[in-house]
Amino acid sequence: MGPDNRSKKIPRWQMKNRMRRNSVFTPTQIGLMVLLGAITLTMIVPLLNILAKSLSSPEASKTMSGLAIFPREFSLINYKIVFNHPALMKSLWNSIYVTVIGTAINILLTTTAAYVLTRPKLLFKKIIMIFLIFMMLFEPGLVPEYLVIQKLGLMGSRWSVILIAAVNVYYLIIMMRYFEEVPESIFEAAALDGAGHIRTLFSIVFPLSKPGIATITMFYAVVRWNEYFRASIYLVRAKDTLFQVILRQFVILGDTASIVGQQNLFDYNELARIDYAALKGATIIVAIIPVLLLYPIVLRYYAKDVMGGGVKE
Amino acid sequence: MQKRHKKAPVRYKKPMTWQEKIKRTMKQLKSESVLYLMLLPTLIFFVVFRLWPIIGMRLAFYKYSARKEWVFVGLEYFEMIFKTSAFTDILKNTLIISFMKFVMLFPFFVLFAILLNELKSNGFRKYVQMVSYLPHFLSWVVIAGIWIAALNPSTGAVNQIMNFFNLPSVDFMTDKTKIRWVLMISEAWRSIGWDSIFYFTAILNIPKSLYEAAEIDGAGRLGTIRYIILPALVTPMVTMFILNLGFFLNAGFDQVFNFSNNAVLSSVDILDTYIYRVGIQSAQYSLSTAVSLLKGVVGIFLVFITHLVSKKITGKGVW
Repeated sequence: MGPDNRSKKIPRWQMKNRMRRNSVFTPTQIGLMVLLGAITLTMIVPLLNILAKSLSSPEASKTMSGLAIFPREFSLINYKIVFNHPALMKSLWNSIYVTVIGTAINILLTTTAAYVLTRPKLLFKKIIMIFLIFMMLFEPGLVPEYLVIQKLGLMGSRWSVILIAAVNVYYLIIMMRYFEEVPESIFEAAALDGAGHIRTLFSIVFPLSKPGIATITMFYAVVRWNEYFRASIYLVRAKDTLFQVILRQFVILGDTASIVGQQNLFDYNELARIDYAALKGATIIVAIIPVLLLYPIVLRYYAKDVMGGGVKE
Repeated sequence: MQKRHKKAPVRYKKPMTWQEKIKRTMKQLKSESVLYLMLLPTLIFFVVFRLWPIIGMRLAFYKYSARKEWVFVGLEYFEMIFKTSAFTDILKNTLIISFMKFVMLFPFFVLFAILLNELKSNGFRKYVQMVSYLPHFLSWVVIAGIWIAALNPSTGAVNQIMNFFNLPSVDFMTDKTKIRWVLMISEAWRSIGWDSIFYFTAILNIPKSLYEAAEIDGAGRLGTIRYIILPALVTPMVTMFILNLGFFLNAGFDQVFNFSNNAVLSSVDILDTYIYRVGIQSAQYSLSTAVSLLKGVVGIFLVFITHLVSKKITGKGVW
């Protein structure tokens, strides 16, 4: 690397291109690839290891190495337990419900607010923005928030978790950045055609800000799906709880009894003899799948600018 | 936002009286009532779920009662906080963990962006980006689950690798002296990709002509990094650093909450875990709120200070 004098005849700009093309396998480049590749392996291998163990038979998974990435004695028993477990299934549905309804509310409020706040003639805009930013920076205490939920009678309702995170100021500001890119002339044309604000938002601004809306939807949906803390406080009854809450109980607090069942443990039957580590792995994998399904949206829209091959030129 | 504000033509020679102003405002509000109605749900949300609890933080000065009126007790709970011997430790833990995550870690994020930029193979770079951005989207519950499995003294990959090199197994998760390092490294694991985007974008925005100039001056790759790339990263680094300072008292509650257990609690107990334990688990509402209030006020103070410092150094505020 660095200025290379291999051939003097080639003009400098051409040489540069040639170097770029040829230099993928210089020692420095290989060293870089090994280093960065190793970092990515620390992210991939643990995930694949958990997946492999969860797909192996309990006898095999107990003796598998922490670096194994292929299942041994393929078996779906761990997933059968997860998907046949009434409490886990119930919490999975609750999580899907909260994610879908919650994200829809997030998007509805965030886009309408972002639309209003990007209108140039808006009155009190500055005051509203200062209010919102203050709300973002100053977190209310956990207890006062708890008491408000109690007073509103939302304790134990899934709406507590949905409503408490209805708008995220940070995402609202990102949404505003996207809406600001819609040319003002389009709004003027829409107004001339007699389109009201709501119609302008949904039939003109929405299609024009597709990448922004996709990105924000994904961010919100992931936050919704990953919610566990408030759910563990507000959703007191076991039947209302979310998947991540049970995941935490089982995987982090090590509460196997509630998953496997006290009676099964007592009888030490087939269910009690499974490999808990592998079963934990299966629940982790179930919690990751929705994120993996949403992840391509980030790569396609949000990270597009930093991932495009052409940006280097 | 600012760009589109065109100065309105001066219509009034005399300044409006406030009655006229109110009249005009009301007229405008009326003509654009749909617009304001669209904002209403969001405003209601913030008033009910943010402002109301913030007003409720006055509980820090009152003795809580579920049915009766709260009794004003002044600073009693604040005195109680500072008398609690554990509070100093909690504050110390918060600051140490924040320092490790926000200060010690942050050169690595910059380095990652620089190394990513040095990669010549576009395909490999895309692969690294695709993989390293992912952990950011996993919940801390999931990440803690993965790490607990990987750090397991007998079945985990880390200890198996250590055993391979004849090193004895270590139970990192229950070792008070090591748990903070686990927090720091797991934070790096989750954020190195995503947090480096900020710096990577700054590198991509460097004009190509600067690289060419450096090449003509005979600067090698290291010279280019030293004289072209690093200077371009100073502003984003200062911005990020200052932003992190504003969140110093948080220390990343979700992570600490999921990585902590009774064996290591004394080294990872931070303000937010304390607020949770005292407030929700022990139902000492006023005491917990007093800690929240203290943390909130100091936090907002830090944000304002950093905003001013940032404006001075980079010419750009935090917002």
